[in-house]
Amino acid sequence: MNIDTIKKEFPIFDEKIQNNDLVYLDSANSSQKPKVVTDRINEFYTKEFSNVGRSVHYLAVAATNLYENTRTSVQRFINAKDKNEIVFTKGATEALNLVANTLGQNYLQDGDEVLITELEHHSNYVPWHFLRKSKNIKINFAEINDDCEVTLEEIEKRITSRTKIISITHLSNVTGAILPIKEITELAHSKGIIVVVDGCQGAPHLRLDMQDLDCDFYAISCHKMYGPTGLGVLYGKKKWLEELPPYQGGGGMINEVKKDKISYGDLPNKFEAGTMATAQVIAFDQSIKFLEKIGMDNVVKHEADLVEYGQELLQKNNSVKLIGNPKNKGGVLSFTIEGIHPHDVATILDEDGVAIRAGHHCCQILHDKLNISASSRASVGVYNTREDLDKLNDSINNCKKIFNTK
Amino acid sequence: MNLKELYQEIILEHGKNPRNLGKTDNFNKDAKGHNPLCGDNVHVYLKLNGQRIVEDISFEGSGCAISMASASIMTDLIKGKNEHEAKEIVEDFLGMIKENPELNSENLKEDEKTKLMCLSGVKQYPMRVKCATLSWHTLISAIDNTQEEINTERMD
Repeated sequence: MNIDTIKKEFPIFDEKIQNNDLVYLDSANSSQKPKVVTDRINEFYTKEFSNVGRSVHYLAVAATNLYENTRTSVQRFINAKDKNEIVFTKGATEALNLVANTLGQNYLQDGDEVLITELEHHSNYVPWHFLRKSKNIKINFAEINDDCEVTLEEIEKRITSRTKIISITHLSNVTGAILPIKEITELAHSKGIIVVVDGCQGAPHLRLDMQDLDCDFYAISCHKMYGPTGLGVLYGKKKWLEELPPYQGGGGMINEVKKDKISYGDLPNKFEAGTMATAQVIAFDQSIKFLEKIGMDNVVKHEADLVEYGQELLQKNNSVKLIGNPKNKGGVLSFTIEGIHPHDVATILDEDGVAIRAGHHCCQILHDKLNISASSRASVGVYNTREDLDKLNDSINNCKKIFNTK
Repeated sequence: MNLKELYQEIILEHGKNPRNLGKTDNFNKDAKGHNPLCGDNVHVYLKLNGQRIVEDISFEGSGCAISMASASIMTDLIKGKNEHEAKEIVEDFLGMIKENPELNSENLKEDEKTKLMCLSGVKQYPMRVKCATLSWHTLISAIDNTQEEINTERMD
């Protein structure tokens, strides 16, 4: 599949959005969906629907097989050792809550420390914050440097004898900084520390290899990787998933239920209580195959070209200030414009058909550190082109014209 | 949708040079407001004298052009009004921003109404209505001394 013509695979780009061609630069928030994915949802509901893992009738067995096929695809996509290390959740947020909650129950002791970074999305901070109260856990923050990245040396500096978990983003959703997960994991494991990775921005934009990264947990958001909403993936090393208690109780996660005792199911069922997002899981198989068809190396190359081009354009634009300059950077361009608030920027850009995000992007710690309340963020996906970034730049100039700034 | 209607000259001017910005001396009532969606904060201070007249009013805060202009115009209009009139004007403004085609308050002069109507362009931008209303809700909280921080996500 040629990446230069990929836009055609996404029906939304045939639509006029408020009379404009859509320039979608909000993929770090959520990506658009290729036709193969939406078709699959429709097809499953109209021709193949059944719940999975329960009944023995034909449709139930077929749906269960399709559901499990996606698990195998995810395993292949992230190169996990075992299929049962893949747990479906309702999102990456639930995946991170699952990890924090169950590690909190079974592993962390009063006074233990969790090390996160100033780059973290709220969903990789708030779940750990819960443990401050319930378990008296201390949370430490590895700080960003002037380029808005977090280095291995900084992580090393923040590790203490009480550090039990390091929970970090793979790719910052604000600065685009890519963290050296493999090196951090190696360091952490040498000290007996567990590594949890928020892979929301990593999974859609980087080639993943769990066995090479060697982290203990990796959380994925499916709607950011050209898949359906309401679905996430938690990768966890088998030994951990086996050791940890279930997160939610209900149907499907049990082995045997008696009045006086309950035993839980095997992996991955133990962590998949209740009716799961069946159609979404089945359609997500198409998202993975779509990315595999393009090839993750091509995705990385394409997006690196876009971000470099965008960076150059915006750097040349007076009064635009890019946030961070990480050496290893993914497809995110966050910026401020002197004298124009990000919300005004986003409204004016929207009028030109350019969809970006304005606000703190669920990263208030980072914005506080940068001493700003909000920023504008343009983020790219496989369907973006250099022309999209030209339109972004033109529309920024339109903002400056309206606000009469230089 | 019309950007020109939203970003009228008067809005841009008030947004850039907000009136009554800062903490007024001798204030005896104040309240804070917060918009968690965009992180905007506002703090409204006012001095209500013995006759229940707003002798002075000011605000501190940071935010988009719409929120700054709205707070600026609000403080300009409310100064000199009595407590009852102020509350009635707030109600009228909130009604206009939500649904009413025009302002009906008898406590506003025609030129004041014209000025306030400059904010009506925000009606077409539902995501931005809260930018315009934050300081007004906060003013009511200050007058009523509720000591409660206004949070736009907990309002209609």
